[in-house]
Amino acid sequence: MNRKFTLLLIALFASTLVKAGGYQINIQGIKQNGMGYIGTGFTLDASSVFFNPGGMSFVKTKFSFVTGVSGVFANTTFQKIAPSVYQANTDNPLSPPLHFYGTYKINEKISVGLGVNTPYGNSLKWGDTWDGRYLITDISFHAFNIQPTVSYKFCDYFSIGAGFNYMTGTVSLSKMLPVADASGEGKSTLEGNTSNFGYSIGIMSKPTPKLGIGVTYRSKIEMKMEGGDVTFKVPAALSTNFPSGVKFDAMLPMPANLNIGISYQVNDKLLIGADLNYVFWSVYDSLVFDFTPNTSSLEDSRNPRLYEDAPVIRVGAQYQYNEKLTCRAGAYFDKSPVKDNYLNPETPSTNQIGLSLGASYKVNEKLNIDASFVYLMGLERNAIYSPANFAGTYKSVTVLPGIGISYNF
Amino acid sequence: MKMKKIFLYIAIAAFAVACKPELDEFVPSKGDADFSRFVSLGNSITAGYMDGALYKTGQEFAYPNILSKQFKLVGGGDFAQPVVNSEIGVLPGKMILGFKTDCAGVTALSPLLQTGTLDGSNVSYTVNNLGVPGAKSFHLLTPGYGSLNPYYKRFATNLTTSKVIDEVSKVNPSFFTLWIGNNDVLTYATSGGAMDSITNPAAYQAYMTNIIAALKANGAKGAVATIPDITSIPFFTSVPYNALVLKDINQVNALNAAYHPVNAVLQSFGLDTLAFRLGANAFVIEDPSSPLPAPYKFRQIKSTELITLTVPRDSISCKGWGSQKPIPHRYVLDNAEINAVKSAVSSYNATIASLANANGLALVDINKYFNDAKTGIYFDGIKFSSAFITGGLFSLDGVHPSSRGQAILANYFIKAINAKYNAQIPFVNINDYPGLKFP
Repeated sequence: MNRKFTLLLIALFASTLVKAGGYQINIQGIKQNGMGYIGTGFTLDASSVFFNPGGMSFVKTKFSFVTGVSGVFANTTFQKIAPSVYQANTDNPLSPPLHFYGTYKINEKISVGLGVNTPYGNSLKWGDTWDGRYLITDISFHAFNIQPTVSYKFCDYFSIGAGFNYMTGTVSLSKMLPVADASGEGKSTLEGNTSNFGYSIGIMSKPTPKLGIGVTYRSKIEMKMEGGDVTFKVPAALSTNFPSGVKFDAMLPMPANLNIGISYQVNDKLLIGADLNYVFWSVYDSLVFDFTPNTSSLEDSRNPRLYEDAPVIRVGAQYQYNEKLTCRAGAYFDKSPVKDNYLNPETPSTNQIGLSLGASYKVNEKLNIDASFVYLMGLERNAIYSPANFAGTYKSVTVLPGIGISYNF
Repeated sequence: MKMKKIFLYIAIAAFAVACKPELDEFVPSKGDADFSRFVSLGNSITAGYMDGALYKTGQEFAYPNILSKQFKLVGGGDFAQPVVNSEIGVLPGKMILGFKTDCAGVTALSPLLQTGTLDGSNVSYTVNNLGVPGAKSFHLLTPGYGSLNPYYKRFATNLTTSKVIDEVSKVNPSFFTLWIGNNDVLTYATSGGAMDSITNPAAYQAYMTNIIAALKANGAKGAVATIPDITSIPFFTSVPYNALVLKDINQVNALNAAYHPVNAVLQSFGLDTLAFRLGANAFVIEDPSSPLPAPYKFRQIKSTELITLTVPRDSISCKGWGSQKPIPHRYVLDNAEINAVKSAVSSYNATIASLANANGLALVDINKYFNDAKTGIYFDGIKFSSAFITGGLFSLDGVHPSSRGQAILANYFIKAINAKYNAQIPFVNINDYPGLKFP
């Protein structure tokens, strides 16, 4: 199978996923967003395509369509290690991720669905003059995912589902080079795009009408970028050291994800649930760049990352306030997979606490307007990227407002 | 719709909070020291000499000047330097990086002499930076040194009677830094041991005792720095001992044939013979200590011996230096000289450490840091090393620090001062200082 992906993209995946439902994953379903991003152990609508393919069979209507858009406002502050008065902030351009899910119930046993979303898209901009500019100045990537999915219901309380993911991604990564001429410092930019296949499977079980249990597994994917473009801006005297037309290859494993969810319908109005996400991050050992051609200044590089497996714990609830209005709330804790001595500002990952609110307004029997708001606190963290001796305290805040509609008939 | 409005309000409120995560700012403090009147005593490095000259921009990057700006964050006062109003310097020698075509027609990146208007004019104000290029320990105690040294001359109170140490009292310092002794071995070493001599370690101890006593006369606190192992600086490490590369077998045969009669004599004295082969070969150097009579006082250089950066490259490339003719001794630091330098530096540093301890001063172990840098050391994303030009620590003269090297020195001083006096003086960002400019 031709499995290609941008290493950088992957690196970012890593960061995003790490950020837990980080601002990437958190925006894949407006209703789920509002509930601390739980969604494995129950079924609401077509968003199950993404959250638990097994749950598609439990969508009540013959057709279900869900679409939404979110804003990602992420900010990270850096305070250099003492003694220093230096602080920096990221300037993150707004990226508006979209998602669309649709399901069609062919018969009582079989449902098919399609998901289209941008599960991993982000921009991080530290700027060309900040103190860590020789590690990273800005990084941006956008991934677009199409997921055809099918589910089969064995009986009233058990179904399974599986989907294929086709993703395409583009990535751009820049940093300054510590060589200067009269016009300023040098800079390198790596850019590339690639595509990749993966799969996800899910099991949905309802042992009692009130209890839901779901398990979703998303595959590990070895992602490979070949022939990405490297652009250098360097003093003329160094143009042979940093030639034009350099290409880079890189490979990075995208870790497997295991999600286990449970839900309980307390009464007609109240649903509560919890998810445990486990991300097998330890496969992300290092980021290797293979440059062609190599020069004395441009050797292949192996950048240790040494990620550790990390869990995310989520709880959430929804309450039907009245005929028209449903309210949601949730929270989660997301442990960073990055070790204290390998925190690179390219991925300023910290432990995170997410708090969310959400609501749906029922316009008519078929149409709902959904809104969500997630406040993600990246907890203060002292860390160092020891391979380059860059140390300090990081703290982040991400705000994700989302709005969407769902149409079921 | 009412609900939408509520969300809008929540969103706006959250953005206000969210836009900038707040982290506690670092709070500087002076601890037990008083930085209001700061004086810095030393040699060319203290003065801000770099790229072969003492020039205006280089002075601004002198570590004492950098320190003074950080001291201002904890109550430090103004810090006056004897400003040179020229980017070329007081004397000719300023270098910039450019392209040079050698005698063999090969063009390569190389330091080039930069010419222009010099400025050696005197300054009339009291200066805090008493760094004097060329000064050895005892020069600071030498009356009338201003008449001998063109840099001290610029701010000497009296040309014929003043000592550098006398200038200290004009500042009446509350805090000082002292870093002197490099030239006590360096001048010997940079001349390949051919000129000058090493200051006797016992005398050095006496000089240092007097200098520190004068600095502390009014109860000032301070920091004193150790002397680095100068044999690891680019001035001595840029020309490898085996940079005689022979690519032509005829050339190899000719050299072996030419030295054949000499080898017979060397063997009779029980000495190593000369041999050449294709590829890298050890240079032939002059050896005044050879037991052979002139003109046979030469041998091939040993792998542990050093050739200075100042050796004329064209003479090696086109005039047979190091192969047909020995490289003159003034461009070579042989093992005996290296040992003499290392032994003296080791004694000096023992003196410095013991005086720092006895006088309650912060000890800045520059020697240790230079050793750390030999194989490369990372600061804030950049790998620095002692390598010439590419290493980033040294300026184009291969002896003096670059602006970033000076910033690193300043941070080492701050680290030691903070530890000794319970202070919280902030480091500078090394990356705020300019790196070497390429063409």
